[in-house]
Amino acid sequence: MGKVLLKNIENPDSADINEYKKAGGYSNLPKALEKQPKEIIEEVKKAGLRGRGGAGFPVAMKWTFASADPKFPKYLLCNADEGEPGTFKDRPILEKNPHLLIEGMAISGYALGAEYGYIYLRGEYPEAKNILNRAIKQANDNGFLGDNILGKGIKFHLAVHQGAGAYICGEETALIESLEGDKGQPRIKPPFPVNVGVFAKPTVVNNVETLSNLPYIIEIGGDAYSKIGTPDCPGPKLYCVSGHVEKPGVYELPMGTILRDIIYTHCGGIKGGRKLKAVIPGGATTPILPPDKIDCPMDFVNMPKHGSMLGSGAVIVMDESVCLVKVCYRILKFLEHESCGKCTPCREGTGWLRSILGRVEGGEGMEGDIDLMLSVSGNMMGKTFCPLGDGAASVVQNFIKHFRPEFEEHIKNAKCRFK
Amino acid sequence: MLNEAAVKELNEIRQKYPNARAALLPALYIAQREFGHLSPEAYEAVSEILGVPKAIARGVATFYVMYKHKPMGRNIVQLCTNVSCMILGAEKLVDFLKNKHGLEPGGTTSDGRFSMVIMECIGACGTAPAMLVNDDFYENLTEKYIEEILGKYK
Amino acid sequence: MIKVTINGKEIELEKPVTVLEAARSAGIKIPTLCYHEQLEKYGGCRLCLVEVEKIPRLQTACTLMVTDGMVVRTETPQIADVRRGILEFLLINHPLDCPYCDKAGECELQDLVEKYGPAKGRYKEKKRKAPESLEDPVFVRNMERCVMCTRCVRMCDGVQGASAIAIINRGGHSHMEPFSGGKYDCEYCGNCVSVCPVGAIMSRLHRHSYRPWQVKEKTETICPYCGVGCTVIAQVRDDSIKRVIPKIGSSVNNGMLCSRGRFGYEFVGSSERLTSPMIKKNGVLEQATWEEAISLTAKRLGEIKNKYGGPSIAGIASPRCTNEDNYVFQKFMRVALGTNNIDSTARTGYAGTQKFIENIFGQGATANIISGLSNSDSVLVIGGDPTAINPILGLQIRACSRKGGNILAIGHIKGLEKFNPVTVSPRFYTETLLLEGIVSALKNKKGLPGSIPALEAKIKDISTSAKEVENGCGIAEKDFIRFTDTLSESLTPSIVLGKDIAQSSGGSYKLMLISAINYLMNARIYLLSERANEQGVLDMGCAPDLLPGYRPLSFAEFRKRYENAWKSPISEKPGLSIFEMVDSAKSNALKALYIMGENPVFNLPNSKAVKAALKNVEFIVVQDIFLTETGKLADVVFPALSWAEKEGTFTNMERRIQRLRKAVNREGMEDWRIISEVAKNMGVKLDYSGAEEIFQEISRISPLHRDLTYEEIGKGGAIYPYKGEPLRGVMEDIQMHKGSSVNPDGKLYLRLERPLFHSGTLSTKAPALVKIYPEAVARVSPAVGEALSLKSGDMARVSTRTGSLELPVNIDNKLDNLSVMLTNNFEDKGAFSLMEYTIDPVTKAPVIDANEVKLEKVLA
Repeated sequence: MGKVLLKNIENPDSADINEYKKAGGYSNLPKALEKQPKEIIEEVKKAGLRGRGGAGFPVAMKWTFASADPKFPKYLLCNADEGEPGTFKDRPILEKNPHLLIEGMAISGYALGAEYGYIYLRGEYPEAKNILNRAIKQANDNGFLGDNILGKGIKFHLAVHQGAGAYICGEETALIESLEGDKGQPRIKPPFPVNVGVFAKPTVVNNVETLSNLPYIIEIGGDAYSKIGTPDCPGPKLYCVSGHVEKPGVYELPMGTILRDIIYTHCGGIKGGRKLKAVIPGGATTPILPPDKIDCPMDFVNMPKHGSMLGSGAVIVMDESVCLVKVCYRILKFLEHESCGKCTPCREGTGWLRSILGRVEGGEGMEGDIDLMLSVSGNMMGKTFCPLGDGAASVVQNFIKHFRPEFEEHIKNAKCRFK
Repeated sequence: MLNEAAVKELNEIRQKYPNARAALLPALYIAQREFGHLSPEAYEAVSEILGVPKAIARGVATFYVMYKHKPMGRNIVQLCTNVSCMILGAEKLVDFLKNKHGLEPGGTTSDGRFSMVIMECIGACGTAPAMLVNDDFYENLTEKYIEEILGKYK
Repeated sequence: MIKVTINGKEIELEKPVTVLEAARSAGIKIPTLCYHEQLEKYGGCRLCLVEVEKIPRLQTACTLMVTDGMVVRTETPQIADVRRGILEFLLINHPLDCPYCDKAGECELQDLVEKYGPAKGRYKEKKRKAPESLEDPVFVRNMERCVMCTRCVRMCDGVQGASAIAIINRGGHSHMEPFSGGKYDCEYCGNCVSVCPVGAIMSRLHRHSYRPWQVKEKTETICPYCGVGCTVIAQVRDDSIKRVIPKIGSSVNNGMLCSRGRFGYEFVGSSERLTSPMIKKNGVLEQATWEEAISLTAKRLGEIKNKYGGPSIAGIASPRCTNEDNYVFQKFMRVALGTNNIDSTARTGYAGTQKFIENIFGQGATANIISGLSNSDSVLVIGGDPTAINPILGLQIRACSRKGGNILAIGHIKGLEKFNPVTVSPRFYTETLLLEGIVSALKNKKGLPGSIPALEAKIKDISTSAKEVENGCGIAEKDFIRFTDTLSESLTPSIVLGKDIAQSSGGSYKLMLISAINYLMNARIYLLSERANEQGVLDMGCAPDLLPGYRPLSFAEFRKRYENAWKSPISEKPGLSIFEMVDSAKSNALKALYIMGENPVFNLPNSKAVKAALKNVEFIVVQDIFLTETGKLADVVFPALSWAEKEGTFTNMERRIQRLRKAVNREGMEDWRIISEVAKNMGVKLDYSGAEEIFQEISRISPLHRDLTYEEIGKGGAIYPYKGEPLRGVMEDIQMHKGSSVNPDGKLYLRLERPLFHSGTLSTKAPALVKIYPEAVARVSPAVGEALSLKSGDMARVSTRTGSLELPVNIDNKLDNLSVMLTNNFEDKGAFSLMEYTIDPVTKAPVIDANEVKLEKVLA
């Protein structure tokens, strides 16, 4: 299988519409427009496409709900707010292959009956904003977007909405709030966005990578697509690997590629031949794994069976030089900073855990601190408004689960030996 | 008050949304650019044009870290220190910027040339450590490379 | 029917509600903090998490809707742990300063921790520090105590619509702030204080002056300020009102109050209150005994009546006094003094407007339920800012907008500007043309219904095109068309009408045009009312042409009825209106004036002329709670009991009769009792054992109050007609007066501002309201300011033909370039002292919109 999502990105002008067209781009949108919207949703269902943002929700199901809602207009939102530490998989699509996303969104919009789309782009990607705006203009000028796409009387308008620095806006209802000009705080569900989303209209929120799969699904058909990767969650997947590997970067591989293979085969193993200490497989808030637990297929279904989650496919590899108490502290500091403040356990708990971790890491830990952290994270887990707080609790629980001696050592010796 | 060009720009952006409120985030970006930071006057200008109460606009703006609430230097160094950057030495670069250039997180140099902000993940983990200076990405940072980069900004 | 099981108890529900509401309906308590029944659901505090069968995750009871067959458990060991954990989180940054905090004793957090909370904290770090903010004169803000429930913000933004506060920053670093970070720039409704569960935002009025459990008296009564008639709870310690709070579920205001209602009570305890009767001796008022004052009054009134006849005496009743006070007063005037010379300041607009409209549409046409406004699909606002004059009514207009209704404003309405009004602002003195244009457009779109020929005869004569409106009023044709289209497409429109119309030239003609709009749209019409009992004073017959029950004096049948009841003849000659009394005083025809709870020297336009006229009157009696400018002219002054110190009833603008209850004990007499004592001294029996007995008499003889009792009113007010019939079919030909046309070019006009924070004497004796709005200011547009190099804060001399005042200037960019706005709230600095008036011959209301004014900068 050739590259689908990262196709042609070595070409320095890959973001230009003509280069994209030369490489076969915008050939699937006309094909899609020949079909009935329902047929496209059926193809997506056959393809077994799952959302690539982190939750792995079946895309066709979301679309079916939204297209069945009688309210108009409908909206298609592209979640381009990748903020999970370690994640940089959508950036190459946004910067190098924007027309793939636009074509995917035009197809999706048609399938859903959505007339308006927004790309909610994180504020930290200023370059991508300019690239996307230029690409959208080109697509409009070429009739791939607008009031009358390819002369078929189909309407789909697309605009970029730039976020302003809030991790929580990756949560779809927070993203909607932010798009509406409010704080990115999650909404009460139900109602779900598919019925009452942005501007109180039926709304589908899909990730950049998810939507970028659409042209390919149209190209080869749902059945063929479903043969790629693992049967439960097929398709190509972007894995972004950072940390102590020889060749960090974004890799497009079939869904379900074994984590060990990603690290050792594709990324050339641990930097400098040092020893692997731990891997966070799906972005900073997914459960950390010790070196003996990395023979797991990286997909939405199998990772939970192996004690972690696929998340955003952001693999952070850490060698033996790393202090895991410090990493845990840093992640909690991040989550405290990003907690939206809406619910009590997350707002207060993330800061409390961060401060305990801070003192343990700083050599001022007290006896009982580990149990205290487990108790505090237990008081958060399952009680927070959205997954951010659960994630914070889970990070602490899993670091302690796999690396408790390292925490104990910090407390006992009243110092960090990695300094 | 915003100048005519900025008002025009804002009114164009406003057309992308079904209501004025949704244009608040872009409007705040424009006001920040025009006023240097989100001063009371900046909020009043936004409020006047979009009809969003100024207290509400301020509440929204302060939720997001990319809006600035005090005057900033001419250039903003935004260094990531999140996990992938941290394990590859970002903290040493923080010390370096502080010791060598007097740039403290949240601070501004006395000549107003640079302000520094610590960022949470900027999506350059594969090329860590990384930073943005204004809107420009710099990756695979070293002390030497930072020296070179800073020299480009006056 | 939905069946749910909560804690093993089966509950049947008619309609889907939240688990929390279902539990409460069954008497099952679930702890909450961010939940508040007046506010939108939030689900943030997580205290109400419950177990629901078949749902693996715990659910917030405040957000989860019940479904048939749902099984919920709210009290399990797991839930107890969850609550303890949540409370521990809330306490890690909450100071344990309960002994110092005013909220202790009614703090929801304190109560919850006492019931569910951890006995001991495990947080070893430093708590969040935030110094208590005392930058605002009314509110104290303590962000260490804040639990981030956001109830204050949801109240301010989502219900009150002031949007003055917000949560700033994010996560654990966030806190609530007004825009400035210190002082509030808001409506000072204090509804944020009402909903705060902890001591994070509190009123400074009673800071550290009592504990919640020490306010033993909690008297439910009616607010003394405007005509909305909000229910308030006065909390009293040692006969001093410590706090006034609203009540959730009360009929008119349902848990909401405005600045005047909440913070305006301090006048009751003012040290400036009159304490003893006074008699003027050698031009000086001296303290006297009650006996001396009463007998002197009786003697002098008797003498004057005998010498000059009843019609040489007049009485001014009060829209601030109770129905009972006013009933006894008019009976006294008619029976003891034999005159119909009785009127009140309702004459300044409300009375004439109501009479005009109800003559066309029938009695009760202007009596509409305030909460109904929020269900209208459009509200046309004209003649004043409802959010300032009747703030709680204003909230219903805002709610209408929030529900998707259209606000249509004629002229800029400040308090509604954030609610997407469709506004048309006609040039000065062209409002009539605009209204004619609207009537023409509606006539063409809707046609004539055919039910009121007299009005249709007038409508047929009107034909004004959009183009003429554009040329005459300066309103772009497309804006006018948008306005009239929006209005005409409305199915359930309401009209909210302020006093500015009656007080403008051609007022009665404009009222005909507004009536025409009302008729063509089949709308409901609401009259803004500035005084708590403005309706009651009319209903009680305190008008020269009305008998109690709002019955026309001119009908012999009604006169007979009251003559029989009172066992005394009633003159068939209509009495003098309040302005005619002034004229009569000026010409020396008026010999005696009895004034109850009113200050005409201040509250009538052209105060100087009023004062000069009153000086001609041989004998003046004033009953009041303060020594007013009018009181100083009196020969006898009686100290009255205030609103908080007596029983009685008020009738609000909806004609809801509601009970006042005594909250504070004070020596003295109610207004009616003073009058009754004077009557007794004149040999006229006007005795009652108390307010209730007076009301029994009213309900016996007034057709509109028939059979109504205090007990019945006590159930939350009663709307009249209670059992009786309203008066119908008194349609006369529509009299109206077009007024003279004015060319305002290049001139400035003095206009009356009716601000939110004041309403005359009472509010200026309430220190909190004075702190919020401390002095009279003249507001002008930026262009007017610029022309005279005036900035906000500069002093200017404002002069009219009757005098001049030096006032600080305030530049207001929403004002037109012809107006100088001034309130009438500060004695010696009131707009009325600079205004002359003419009288509209139909409504008898004073026309005050033609006062040319000069503005000059005063150099320091």
